[in-house]
Amino acid sequence: MLLIDFFSAVGDVLSSESTYINGALFAALLAFAATGEWVAERSGTLNISVEGMLLSGAFAGALGYHLAESVAVGLMLGGVGGLIIAVVQAEMSHRLTADQFVVGLTLNILVVGLTGFLDREIDPRADYASEVEIPILVDIPLFGQALFGEPWPFYLLYGLVPLSWWLVYRTRWGLELRAAGENPQSADVSGIDVNRRRRQSIYYAGLTSGLGGAYFLFARLATFDDSVIGGQGFIAIAAVIFGGWTLWGTMGGCVLFAGALSFQLSLQGLGYELNTELLQALPYLVTIGAMAIFARRVRPPAALAQPFIRGLK
Amino acid sequence: MTDATTGMAGTEGSDPSVPAVQLTGITKRFGGIVACDEVDLTLYRGLVHGILGENGAGKSTLMKVLIGLVLPDEGSILIDDQPRTIHDPLAAAALGIGMVHQHFSLVDQLSVWENVALGEAGKLDSSGVRRRVAAISKQYGLEIDPDARVGTLTAGLRQRVEIIKCLRRDPHILVFDEPTSVLTPEESEQLFSTLREVVAAEGRAVVLVSHKLDEVLHATDEITIMRQGRVVDHRPTQEADARSLARAMVGREVSLRSERAAFGLADIEEAVDADPEDRPPAETVISDEPVLRIEGVSVRGRGGARLLDDISLDLRAGEIMGVAGVEGNGQRTLGDLLSSLIPLDAGRVVVNDSEVRSGAPGAMAKAGIGVIPEDRHDSGVVLDMTVAENLLMVDPHRVARHGVMDKGQTTETALRMIEEFDIGCSGPDAPLWSLSGGNQQRVVLARELAAEPDVLVAAQPTRGLDVGAIEYMTDRLRQTAADGVAVLLISSELEEILELSDRIVVMSRGRIVGELSHGNANLETLGLLMGGSEG
Amino acid sequence: MYALSVVVALAISSVIVEATGGDWWPVLKALVDGSIKAPGRWGETLGIAAPLLLVALGTVISAKAGLINIGQEGQLLMGAAFAVFFSFRIGGPGPLNVVLLLLFGALGGAVWASAAGLLRYWRGVPEVLSTLLLVFVAVQAVGYGLKWQWLLLADEASRGNRNLVSEQLTKDNRIPRPDIFGNEFPITVYVALALALAVAYVLARTVWGFRLRMLGHNPRAAQRSGVSSTTYGATALAIGGAFAGLAGAAMFAGGGFSFGNYRLVPGFSDFIGWTGLLVALMARERALPAVVAAFVFAMLRTGAGFVNSTGVESRITDVVQGLLVLALLVPPAVVFLRDRRRARAAATERV
Repeated sequence: MLLIDFFSAVGDVLSSESTYINGALFAALLAFAATGEWVAERSGTLNISVEGMLLSGAFAGALGYHLAESVAVGLMLGGVGGLIIAVVQAEMSHRLTADQFVVGLTLNILVVGLTGFLDREIDPRADYASEVEIPILVDIPLFGQALFGEPWPFYLLYGLVPLSWWLVYRTRWGLELRAAGENPQSADVSGIDVNRRRRQSIYYAGLTSGLGGAYFLFARLATFDDSVIGGQGFIAIAAVIFGGWTLWGTMGGCVLFAGALSFQLSLQGLGYELNTELLQALPYLVTIGAMAIFARRVRPPAALAQPFIRGLK
Repeated sequence: MTDATTGMAGTEGSDPSVPAVQLTGITKRFGGIVACDEVDLTLYRGLVHGILGENGAGKSTLMKVLIGLVLPDEGSILIDDQPRTIHDPLAAAALGIGMVHQHFSLVDQLSVWENVALGEAGKLDSSGVRRRVAAISKQYGLEIDPDARVGTLTAGLRQRVEIIKCLRRDPHILVFDEPTSVLTPEESEQLFSTLREVVAAEGRAVVLVSHKLDEVLHATDEITIMRQGRVVDHRPTQEADARSLARAMVGREVSLRSERAAFGLADIEEAVDADPEDRPPAETVISDEPVLRIEGVSVRGRGGARLLDDISLDLRAGEIMGVAGVEGNGQRTLGDLLSSLIPLDAGRVVVNDSEVRSGAPGAMAKAGIGVIPEDRHDSGVVLDMTVAENLLMVDPHRVARHGVMDKGQTTETALRMIEEFDIGCSGPDAPLWSLSGGNQQRVVLARELAAEPDVLVAAQPTRGLDVGAIEYMTDRLRQTAADGVAVLLISSELEEILELSDRIVVMSRGRIVGELSHGNANLETLGLLMGGSEG
Repeated sequence: MYALSVVVALAISSVIVEATGGDWWPVLKALVDGSIKAPGRWGETLGIAAPLLLVALGTVISAKAGLINIGQEGQLLMGAAFAVFFSFRIGGPGPLNVVLLLLFGALGGAVWASAAGLLRYWRGVPEVLSTLLLVFVAVQAVGYGLKWQWLLLADEASRGNRNLVSEQLTKDNRIPRPDIFGNEFPITVYVALALALAVAYVLARTVWGFRLRMLGHNPRAAQRSGVSSTTYGATALAIGGAFAGLAGAAMFAGGGFSFGNYRLVPGFSDFIGWTGLLVALMARERALPAVVAAFVFAMLRTGAGFVNSTGVESRITDVVQGLLVLALLVPPAVVFLRDRRRARAAATERV
């Protein structure tokens, strides 16, 4: 009996539009962050401060709306908020050679404290962004609303993702960035300032993550809280790894992980009391599982997470 | 008519009697060390200028000044009679200076054309770059596929890419830094003819940096000799001979065979009819029973590449076996295998009649194989630990009781080894990175010999060392063999191999392509084998 | 240079406070009052410093092996859960029980960290990510345990009207908290101090510590010298987790009001794991400096309670913590760069 209940619940969830809408919401958050982090990882850096960048972006977004009553300003400020964290991360770890994980982790903790502090001091008010429906496409059953009936910042992704791909694979900047990620010594000899490229790639990650944080604020919450991001930044990093350091794989990871999250939410929303703890742990378990399966099979950028100091080795 | 060919003519209008480059009074200090001391150098178009010197003579620093990797403390740079400062490689490229690097500046994971495009400025135009690569390779007979992934190419082809990368920018001044270290003799010959063509046909100025006398004598028009950061001699190649060059380079008469070997002076005749005192000691008794047996060993890399392909070797106590070959033909893999760093896929390694588990941590060392690794920073030393700790890495239990290391005994043991091997350092507690390369190498040697191994693997043991250190190292290796240790000498310096080995095997593409006894080995036969022709 | 960094960090904090309309000096004064000067406060601070130190010591050990374990928060929580399970489902009465529940806590942390070790050495999953993700799994797992009576949940009689709470540890099973000059703190403080000395000694003097450091600095040289990265690395991770788990158990059995009052509740770990990690970072992964760092961070925590009274949001202390760590990362990096430049000069031209 229980099993039948469960399957009918799964059926309900899968045929419910809200599952896909929620899925798209989370997937977009992840995609904003993961796109930038993918670029950063291609240059040989690994930034666990993505979490902090998202959170900072969300807060700055709220602040922007609070000040200007405009979602657009909020988004812009969100990008700046992410960028600020990125600058600290990049300068500390790729100019001053402090350990990038240590810096990233500290930043995450700092951002939670700082945004929490400022939130209570300032208490910024935000609002939902207006939704824009793309005619015809929005009527596609199940997926239509999720992909083409979203708050407008969502559509930035349709530009951002191809842009990132183009930057990395089709521009000189991208070529130099990849060289820095694969063989920093050779890149250096060829006249490329490796650490500068790496810093720039982190700035990019900060910008997209900040945008992502602000997007999430305007799309889902409308008020800031220091737990809004709740580990999504880490899942974004996991998505890059899951995707084998290709952009499309990364996006696939975002969709998969967001799907797991939304599945759980929908199941709860439809009133099925399943094992909530298990479902809440699911994205993390899926990520760990995926890494366990794929970590050995794909080739990361050869110099990933290895600092470059000229003349050393 | 493509851009590439018209671009080549960029130097035509200029007057060949005006020096292309004039370096005057270049001085560069690193901390208290003077790497270049008032160095003058003048390069003319249409001439190949050899810069000869030992490792550490200041050649590399001088070239780094020219290419913008190092800023000089004093001195002036005139390019075509215009005073210039060169801040970085891009600025150098803009002035028409290009360098073909000793250690490749290529990124394995990128394609040929992407590598060629690396380090330029401006918009990335893939089809344009591809076209130019094709044009240049056609013009100089440097055939290459622009879309090939560089990681899949052989060392010779990779150097082609490097040269194309350099020529693509149409440099007026071309610097080759130790270009033959990764080439077979045949490929070297080919390189020199390309070089001639570039100079003669197009009026470029070429610098050939080398520590090999024969190479410089053979391929250059004039020679500058450096020693200890100074220019000690400069003359046209026609007026130079090997002996006087060697004297200028070292600063005294070159008598020891090992030194001559280091400069590439040993030729076939000498190798056979050498002084008795320079030969391996006659009283060395080489046993009949092999100490180390490598039987049909194969190792595959990622993606199935055969790094070692069915290798078999027998090594007896008291002999030195040389493993000759162009770099990148499996020697490193062989060294790694005997350092327990990688597992083998087929075959077995047997020491003293018992099989050693490959890839198991420390198994090879435990079985009695000591290793002086090719790149000591990779697996030979721990830079951030002290000299004493580095000396005790393999066997810390020697100074420990119940798992606790005795401080006094540690220091005492370390001091003894420091003294015995004459390691220059401020004491046992000095961090290893504070030592010079030669002294770091002595630390490795001291540690490996202290473990009283049955087999000593010495991979490129003299690379990057100065003459005194080379002499010390070769003497030690001979002594070690005389003490009854089986020595496996892996080297790409043929002269070193000919000089020291009782038997020689040649590696090519992960296989052993021939074995020669000391008596019937010479540069020519070795060179042929290294080039891949089975013997 | 270190002093300068600290001053800069504090200056930035003060700017943040002033900018949001607060006053910095009263905040600083409240911090000192709350952590040391007010009656009974330094005992309280020590009680918080102990688990921080324990977590940091574990972090030091795994860091020496070159591993980046950032999942202490989860390992600590698992340790607490194991200790609770042992206390109420297995153990008997008596002082021995206290020791056993601490050991069980250590086991819990070790198990959780070993999951990451397994993933790393068996499947090649970077431990940075797996330890981190396992934190969130641990939170859910403990939440699940608190729903079931056969696991962690208290029976109805003792939980009153509360949900998701374990039974309260009986008086005779608690870690003693002797009173000294009006301050009381659990004797685990001494245990933590002793362990700090032990860790420093083991790392510096024993063969095991030597080989562990070798592995951390140069894994290939270590492999060649007979140090198995799998064995040593997995052990170091497990020990790191064990320390975090021990901290969790010690918080449960000796914490007083600051940590759930001898009960396991959701949110029990209360950022002690994360903060302990910061302590290790601030101490630059050395055992003895971690003692000082743990005390400083504990001060920020106990002091925070008094900050609210100044009208400034107490979370400013989190900001101060983060800024302090960041600031302290700068001097060693600068020194490192300078040394490298010198070493390079010595190494490149005069080989």
